[in-house]
Amino acid sequence: MKPVRIWFEKKGAARFISHLDLNRCISRAIHQAKIPLWYTQGFNPHAFLTFALPLPLGVRGERESFDIRLEEDLPEEELLRRLNAVLPEDIRLFSAKPPVKKPGEIAWARYRIELEPENGDCAAFCGGLRALLGSEGVWVEKRTKSGTARIDLHPYFRDTEIREEGGKAVLEPLLPAGSRENINPLLLLQALEQRIPGGFYASVSRQGLFDAEKKEFA
Amino acid sequence: MKITKELERVLMKVQKPGRYVGGEWNAVMKDPREIDVRFAFCFPDTYEVGMSHLGMKILYSLFNEQDFLWCERVFAPWTDMEEEMRKRQIPLYALESGDPIRDFDFIGFTLQYELSYSNVLNMLDLAGVPLRTADRAEGDPVVVAGGPCACNPEPLAEFIDLFFIGEGEEVDLEVIRLYREYRAQKKSRAEFLRAAAQIEGVYVPSLYDVSYGEDGLIRAVTPREGAPAKVRKRLMRDLDHTYFPDRFVTPYLDIVHNRAVGEVFRGCIRGCRFCQAGFLYRPVREKSPETVDRQCHDLCENTGYDEVSLSSLSTSDYSRIQELLDRMLQWSRGEKVSISLPSLRVDGFSDELTSKIKTVRRSGLTFAPEAGTQRLRDVINKNVEEDVLLQTVRTAFAGGWNTVKLYFMIGLPTETMEDVAGIAALAQKVVDAYYEDPARKKGRGVTVTVSASSFVPKPFTPFQWEPQDSIGMLHEKQACLVHSIHTRRITANWHDADTSFLEAVFARGDRRLGPVLAEAHRRGMRFDGWSDCFSLARWLEVFHDCGVDPAFYANRRRSFDEVLPWDHIDYGIKKEFLIEECKKAYQDQTTPNCREACSHCGASCFQGGICVEARSHLV
Ligand code: SF4
Repeated sequence: MKPVRIWFEKKGAARFISHLDLNRCISRAIHQAKIPLWYTQGFNPHAFLTFALPLPLGVRGERESFDIRLEEDLPEEELLRRLNAVLPEDIRLFSAKPPVKKPGEIAWARYRIELEPENGDCAAFCGGLRALLGSEGVWVEKRTKSGTARIDLHPYFRDTEIREEGGKAVLEPLLPAGSRENINPLLLLQALEQRIPGGFYASVSRQGLFDAEKKEFA
Repeated sequence: MKITKELERVLMKVQKPGRYVGGEWNAVMKDPREIDVRFAFCFPDTYEVGMSHLGMKILYSLFNEQDFLWCERVFAPWTDMEEEMRKRQIPLYALESGDPIRDFDFIGFTLQYELSYSNVLNMLDLAGVPLRTADRAEGDPVVVAGGPCACNPEPLAEFIDLFFIGEGEEVDLEVIRLYREYRAQKKSRAEFLRAAAQIEGVYVPSLYDVSYGEDGLIRAVTPREGAPAKVRKRLMRDLDHTYFPDRFVTPYLDIVHNRAVGEVFRGCIRGCRFCQAGFLYRPVREKSPETVDRQCHDLCENTGYDEVSLSSLSTSDYSRIQELLDRMLQWSRGEKVSISLPSLRVDGFSDELTSKIKTVRRSGLTFAPEAGTQRLRDVINKNVEEDVLLQTVRTAFAGGWNTVKLYFMIGLPTETMEDVAGIAALAQKVVDAYYEDPARKKGRGVTVTVSASSFVPKPFTPFQWEPQDSIGMLHEKQACLVHSIHTRRITANWHDADTSFLEAVFARGDRRLGPVLAEAHRRGMRFDGWSDCFSLARWLEVFHDCGVDPAFYANRRRSFDEVLPWDHIDYGIKKEFLIEECKKAYQDQTTPNCREACSHCGASCFQGGICVEARSHLV
């Protein structure tokens, strides 16, 4: 039994695919590619497949990962080639390595948020954004297991630089991620929609995952 | 497909955005610059429902095999998506390219159930295409439709340019090729439609005039401009040599039937008198086990599905089912693929068959006696005998099953309250059969689910002249059923009588329902098959305001000599045969199935399948 961590990109149409659906898609691909998976023993054997951290619906993933266990050794290049050949274009696997850290160690995630104001006035939009995030009390509703909770986004975004790039406001916040605390970057969009007049287009991607020491998850 | 930033913003707001973005495994992408004809294949229901439909998968792949043609999928956006699309003025687009379908050459609907008609209109509207044939101009798409409900196309006659009658594999492509040819010659839309009407299996409703008598009945249907007086359905005679896809678009989302599907045969040897499919698809035509096995294996190879189901109206009627399963089991086990057999017939469920599917996956056990008493089962020609059913469940119980689902219909012709109570009595006997073995008293116990749908009389069946029970009567019968159940081991559920009523209206409707549909659409009706959207009260208002009495269509007994709205459509089944069958029903007389004896229904005119096989036995 050989554990492998496979790294992939999730983009295009696949951004709008839920975690459960992605899981089904990868299982199907593994089955189609006839990858010699290791099966759990016991009454109802099933293949081992687990994802590092679900990606919020609509967010592009630049460096996502899932773990499998192989029954027999497969060269990285062959494993990737066989799986990529049976996956939709919008899911691309680019690396397969032995896992270094446990998914439970994930504590932070880096996102890139691009916002394009509909009226084209990016400078004013950035100004409004800075003013908003610089002060306390950016309250939003957050769905939790036991209903909804109100949280203040200010502490999470106050250190985030807001840059202007080609008519877009760009933010790259590092947000708590994982089982202990998880801040969905889309909460920011929710806050902006309520507070900043005029519509905007948004594009959000997750760049990478980090442990408590802010060292890259590998 | 390209996802514009406008669309992206909308997708962030709706539930299950994966329904609206395409990009699935095996979706067919082409370069529009190399394409001559673009076809938007519309399923007028949600993505999850439409993507489960075998007929659409077959035609999608077949169309895309043609170099000049690109066929793309379109489903009805759910209400939240529709609202956003209308707000942002995003026209209905196809899932492969993302291009608006109003720019396509063809918009084709598959009509699987009458309650999707309001969605047909809504999708045309969302696409920005004029609803009525008469309002479409030269550059507009040709709007076509096929599927079982096309057997009575009249309620949709003013909205659809051209109907395909029968099986589409040949006729659809003939029409598309004709279009391509006519367009190259710069011929008009009217010229194209007139020429298409000459192709067998094509019905162009605008070429037929309908006149009515003072009694409100149809007097005559008269073809114009050389259109045929009767449009005969098309049929594939040899299924071993009929196109079948070797891959399915494999969705990310969990759809209703998320698995590979092998087609075993078309048609049905049984002549259940309520069952429209049983008559529309005659005669029965089987594929050889070699063909089915190869097609199933290819599908699993190309999709990665770990489950394949064998589809047909009643799979265990397949004459070579054992041979087929033996073949499939040779690879399925090793490749970790399970085989499932839906719609098993009671009398086809042998010991051996049980053990074979048990080796793969245990699914629920379902039977469809359809009626509670032997008398009524004889009336409907449903050949299920009580002791055979009980013997079968005993076998299944011995094999470890403990849930049984029984399907029935209420409101069948000649039905009495005794027959309704008989449903509960039959379910009770199944429960009793379980507890015949005293050892089972301790275990988890047995669960018998009784599902009762309301009978809807359909065209091309021996009951096409019958009135549907009133909604009040159906409710009384449902109550009678509940009161006849005396154990918690049996649970009963039923389809809403309100939807069955609307279904009955449109199933046997005529062109006078067109304005009703248009008005219902204008008032926002859609997804009538979904209880969260359907409201009979709102429909009744529309009928009232349009001056149309729905009971005229649903609850009226027709006489045998009445001109029926679908009399100019020909499925090969002779009207005299249906009249004979109807009379026999009232005398509790059964009719043998096609394998036992030919009853000369008329379908032998297609010179295929069991009709010719039956003859060769006689020689
Ligand atoms: S002609 Fe005879 S064998 Fe053929 S479908 Fe009709 S009843 Fe069956």
